[in-house]
Amino acid sequence: MSNEAEKPNFITTSLDFLVNWGRTNSLWPFPYGTACCAIEFMSTEVGRYDLSRIGSEYVRFTPRQSDVLLVAGTISYKQAPILKRMYEQMAEPRWVIAMGACASSGGFYDCYCTVPGIDHIIPVDVYIGGCPSRPEAFFEAMFDLQKKIKDESYMKQRAERVKDQLEMIKAKTEQAKAEAREFAREKTAEIKEFVAEKEQELVKKAQFWKE
Amino acid sequence: MESVIDVLESKFGGKRDNKAKWDTCVVIPKEYLHNAVEFLKNDPSMQMDMLLDLAGIDYLTYPNYEGPRFAVSYAFKSMKNPGRRVRLKVLVSEADLKVPTVTDLYASANWLEREVYDQYGIVFSGHPDLRRILNHVEFVGHPLRKDYPAQKRQWLSTTDFLVPELEKRLESKGYKIVQRSKEIMPVEEEYLEGSIRE
Repeated sequence: MSNEAEKPNFITTSLDFLVNWGRTNSLWPFPYGTACCAIEFMSTEVGRYDLSRIGSEYVRFTPRQSDVLLVAGTISYKQAPILKRMYEQMAEPRWVIAMGACASSGGFYDCYCTVPGIDHIIPVDVYIGGCPSRPEAFFEAMFDLQKKIKDESYMKQRAERVKDQLEMIKAKTEQAKAEAREFAREKTAEIKEFVAEKEQELVKKAQFWKE
Repeated sequence: MESVIDVLESKFGGKRDNKAKWDTCVVIPKEYLHNAVEFLKNDPSMQMDMLLDLAGIDYLTYPNYEGPRFAVSYAFKSMKNPGRRVRLKVLVSEADLKVPTVTDLYASANWLEREVYDQYGIVFSGHPDLRRILNHVEFVGHPLRKDYPAQKRQWLSTTDFLVPELEKRLESKGYKIVQRSKEIMPVEEEYLEGSIRE
């Protein structure tokens, strides 16, 4: 029965299509710009190239309101924990674009201070080459990301999530049960000891009065 | 320009560096450095009122060189006498890495000295806040020394903790910290690791 429900059917696929359609056409980027790639992103955003043609016109400067983390520029080791935290603050669903040579591989900074590619810190969906990347390349990456999102299945992910949650709940209840059992065992042992002590005291008292 | 060199040589035991072709460079002994800088800044004939740069040098792999391993180079410029520039150099041996600070004369020396400390490990005695400035707090070693492997990478586990600095700045402006939230309460004082407090 559960296998039947997991299979894609008319309802789930149409729901998937609807959700993906919505997600694809309103990708709100969060620019994490640290170098010249961020300037290229600015020119992608404004009139001449106009990113709003594909529905990404709102550039959000908070990770909580955005879908795409756009890492544009060199990431140093001092910045790595900040970037990781930024990614963790983003709400699901989230995607990451590594823009330019530095974010993808560290670029020509083969030295003590630069992270050799942000995929050492966070998962990346699309890489863009170039130093810095052209706006056309950025559009190509956005189209790639849209294709990727269209292939995703919201219902499948949801089923997996529910399964994970169920397993977690089961594990937690078992853990709680084991804890309760142990606690009860300890308590009974304590009570038994207490009763035994009392009995001994009573016996002692009785002996004393006898004497 | 010759007068500057003459005065520095006669008064502060300096010695002109003949290897420097493009500018006037005077090597000054460490103990006279502060006096020489003070003289350069305040003397009416000099008026070097701008510290352009302060850089460290590591001579470990330098060809045909004999002498102390490190050097600190100070570049001065005069805004009142146009075109007047001079460069002071202090040689620092590996055994004694201490150099007197010039932060009391030039405020811009603060971060420059922090950078030299960060990259070369040269300690500026008397500096108000000698911490790392470019590398993170968990960094071990000094990366611009020639014996540091250039590709040796070091990960940082947490973000830098800047609250103590912020509080200090607030207190200097007359504010008082009454209560600190639990989240930003430093559990251990490890965030100062890699820095020097004197």
